[in-house]
Amino acid sequence: MQVYTGPWTKAEAAHLLRRTTFGATNQQILTAVANGMNATVNSILQIPISDEPLAYDAGETIVPQGSSWVNAVYPANQTQNQQTENARFKSLGAWIAKNMNQEQLCIAEKMAFFWQNHFGVTASAEARAMYHFLALLRQNSLGNFKQLVKDVTIHPAMLLFLNGATNNVFSPNENYSRELLELFSIGKGNQIATGDYSTYTEIDVAAGAKIMTGYTVSGIRSSTATQATASFNSILHDNSSKTLSYHFNGQVVSGAGATEYANYIDVIFAQPQVAKYICTKLYRYFVNYDITPSIQTDVIDVLAQTLITNNYEILPVMQQLLTSDHFYDMSVRGAIIRNPIEMIMGAMNPTQTMPNFGLVGDYQTYISIYYVADTMGQSYLVPPSVAGWTAYYQAPAFSKLWINSTYIKKRFDIVSALVYSGVPVGTNVLKMNLLGFLNGLSNPSDAPQVIDDMCDVFFPKAINAADKLTLKLILTNGLPDFEWTLQYTDYLANPTNTTYFTPVTQRMQAVMNVILKMPQFQTI
Amino acid sequence: MKRRDFLKNASLASLSLPFVSNGFSMQAVAKELFEYSKNAEDRVLVLIRMNGGNDGLNMVFPIDQYANLAIQRPNILIPQNQLLNLTSDLALHPKMTGMQDMFNNGKLSVIQNVGYPEANRSHFRSMDIWSTGALDINQTSGWLGRYFDSTYPNFPADYPNANFPDPFAISMGSEVSTTCQGLMGNFSHAVNDPFNTSNLLLTSVTNDGTYYGSHIEYISTLINQTNEYGTSISASANAGNSLSTMYDPLNPLAVQLKYIAQMISGGLKTKVYIVNIGGFDTHDSQVDQTNLSEGNHALLLKMISDAVAAFQNDLHLLGLEQRVAGMTFSEFGRQIASNGSYGTDHGDAAPILLFGSCVSTGIIGPNPTIDNQINEQAGVPMQIDFRNVYASILRDWFEAPEPSIQALFEQNISYLDILSGCSVGIAEQEALKLKPLVYPNPTPSNVTLRFQSKGEQYQIFIMDQQGKALAVAFDGQLNSGKQEMALETSKLPAGHYYFLITSTNTRELVAFQKI
Repeated sequence: MQVYTGPWTKAEAAHLLRRTTFGATNQQILTAVANGMNATVNSILQIPISDEPLAYDAGETIVPQGSSWVNAVYPANQTQNQQTENARFKSLGAWIAKNMNQEQLCIAEKMAFFWQNHFGVTASAEARAMYHFLALLRQNSLGNFKQLVKDVTIHPAMLLFLNGATNNVFSPNENYSRELLELFSIGKGNQIATGDYSTYTEIDVAAGAKIMTGYTVSGIRSSTATQATASFNSILHDNSSKTLSYHFNGQVVSGAGATEYANYIDVIFAQPQVAKYICTKLYRYFVNYDITPSIQTDVIDVLAQTLITNNYEILPVMQQLLTSDHFYDMSVRGAIIRNPIEMIMGAMNPTQTMPNFGLVGDYQTYISIYYVADTMGQSYLVPPSVAGWTAYYQAPAFSKLWINSTYIKKRFDIVSALVYSGVPVGTNVLKMNLLGFLNGLSNPSDAPQVIDDMCDVFFPKAINAADKLTLKLILTNGLPDFEWTLQYTDYLANPTNTTYFTPVTQRMQAVMNVILKMPQFQTI
Repeated sequence: MKRRDFLKNASLASLSLPFVSNGFSMQAVAKELFEYSKNAEDRVLVLIRMNGGNDGLNMVFPIDQYANLAIQRPNILIPQNQLLNLTSDLALHPKMTGMQDMFNNGKLSVIQNVGYPEANRSHFRSMDIWSTGALDINQTSGWLGRYFDSTYPNFPADYPNANFPDPFAISMGSEVSTTCQGLMGNFSHAVNDPFNTSNLLLTSVTNDGTYYGSHIEYISTLINQTNEYGTSISASANAGNSLSTMYDPLNPLAVQLKYIAQMISGGLKTKVYIVNIGGFDTHDSQVDQTNLSEGNHALLLKMISDAVAAFQNDLHLLGLEQRVAGMTFSEFGRQIASNGSYGTDHGDAAPILLFGSCVSTGIIGPNPTIDNQINEQAGVPMQIDFRNVYASILRDWFEAPEPSIQALFEQNISYLDILSGCSVGIAEQEALKLKPLVYPNPTPSNVTLRFQSKGEQYQIFIMDQQGKALAVAFDGQLNSGKQEMALETSKLPAGHYYFLITSTNTRELVAFQKI
């Protein structure tokens, strides 16, 4: 896998930003062109510290509006307790949408969702625990994969989600043990004999369950504890010797009590298959679903070796991938269909469309956007299963699964709403920032240049000349180009005069409504 | 009815099973064939996917194994006196009263211990196996998708069209079904609400041969299809009816099945409907600790039983019962022994429920044998291969020719008689079969005998196990078609018996048990 040395134009810069962020403006793309590939990749790979979610909903009865609730107790009264929990989950969902809409131009939010998809935790346990879990994923999203799996294993959110908290010597529960092998670390291979999945066997599932016995979670939605806490209780731990299958050389894991799980994860991670497994998932998420034999040897295996050489640090792998010639190959441009959040943010972020309605109004708007993505099949806090969303693993359709007759209608509905009527949320209405977007283009008074810029921003590949002409005629309402120039110039001279800004807005609405409903826009 | 399909079926039948004459004129057979194929053309299959791995042992209880179940799952086993008896040694979960009624009316059957060899306990792999109908990991098309592909090989290009205006399959909700994944496209169309379908912007694009090109072609085709299918779906739903008052509007499965009844009665030609219900991954709190017949699993089973009973009632009132059959499935059953969290972990085989007025017999397959020792991680062993169930549905219900069915599957198919209750047979040999069914069976008193009459003089005898005729149960002329006759058996002592059905051209035995 060679370092990319080809041309560095808007097309390549926009490709990089489409895959690593939720949407860049025309100006951000131009800046990335000017800075060059290496500087842009380095800057994208810095994970900023995120703010905590804030209380905004009236159901929150502990902390005041505008304060963080992530380390606050719950009400003792059961009704209030539930109301507060609901309010906190709404705040958490809104915070997720806000982070993506207001992201700095970096990979943090895309990586955070990668890990949420990877571990597939449904937020059923407790809003605080779920926040801390998501924060763990986000802050370590380019960190050490092995350590992340260890941290996740005994995190309260995971212990509650996959029954680790009730897994003890008296009644081992295999739920987490199975998914640790099958989905989180080494991955399941073909079944080659009864109970033998070529990378592990049912023996390992049973042994793993015993190894991880003894953890419990306390303080869930407690009125006195500020955190749900995982703790180890040696009485509940299975102290027998656990012998793993031949896939792990029959190693015995025992005698380490609270840290036995970590020793076990070290044993799993000694298998190079772990690196191949996670690099395959990274490749599918960031590049393309199709793993041909040559992609396997020339890309996945190379990335896996990098991961092993760096003791499972993710950052060098992403660095290598995002600066590789393969990443910029024409054959993989547009090879991924946008997930619902990528579709919504892909319309909002490049146009810098964001609510500005004060704390409560903003959070209400963001939780509405969260729910819109939910109705299209992507509820960030509720993956369809522990394997994550099917679009990332289900052959042969993969990302095609994001789109079907029901979902395509919803995608079109949200575009129509953003572009025309606005999305009503309470007394506020979120509308697309069309004139702001237009004013930020290279040469807004030049109709062909407006269409060129819009294609650069919204489409992964150039569209044909006939389509471009169609779009331009929509923008100019079928008139000669100079009429658009005159109209735009008049508007610039009288920016608050409705006689001048209304026609420009209407033409932008018409062309944006078509562009965001073209099949090309649905891909990245 | 497509003339072309009829001819194809007819020629295949004449090749594989030469007509012999014993009282049947060729003309009569041809006429029967025609009507018969028309029936197959109009038939609808409803699949209910129970996502998460259904605990079959907490749904259908092998009563003869109850003592050992009490050893294996003491913290979750429902008291025996609360169970709903189907037969003397099989019972349903107490919440499944609707389905118990259906069973007693011959409209529900249980196929026991369905699974596949070398059970895979991963949700994802196992659901793949059930969806593709294949153990081969490289198989990416669904079992119904392959069946549709074999009949409509160019799909989705040029569909819908004048001959096929409606989707081949409808997946209720927002996602298409992997069971319908074909080579080039998915045959199922996702429908959330048939009264609110789409009319989207038309667009046309060309595929440049890259991944990108295939995506935009896919999306563009889908947009066009959505427009056209949407129109026909909402037209059917609006033209259709629903007559049952049993649907609970708060039961999401009932709402979806009601939509399906409305689409079918409105004339939609869709052959397969798929509904999904999740929540079966009951590692913990499967039952309510204070009342074992309540809890998460009980709620799910009640939802299914109530919804299906309402649907069946609706089909009956709409006069559509003979056109619709349904089946439940789940990726696996659960382990025999329960865990300490009042739940169960991933296991192996589990029963399938078949419903409709055309189901063949009551209970197919023996009860599982439950050990009196707890074997860690043991599941219920597979007795009936799910691929044989699929193949039998294709044969019995869609009347696909056996050689083309075999071509869809990787192993040698062995057919089960599961859905032939309304069929009249494609070839003469088949046509002669009476397809008799006795229910309830076993019976504490009287029974109903159902069979396909050929319009002859019939004598029906009650026989004992030694083959001795004990009584004449019926003697007279019967019209052609499905007959259901209530027969007096209440005075028989407990034991095993047969009905012998005789006429000029037929002689068939059907067993039943008096308890």
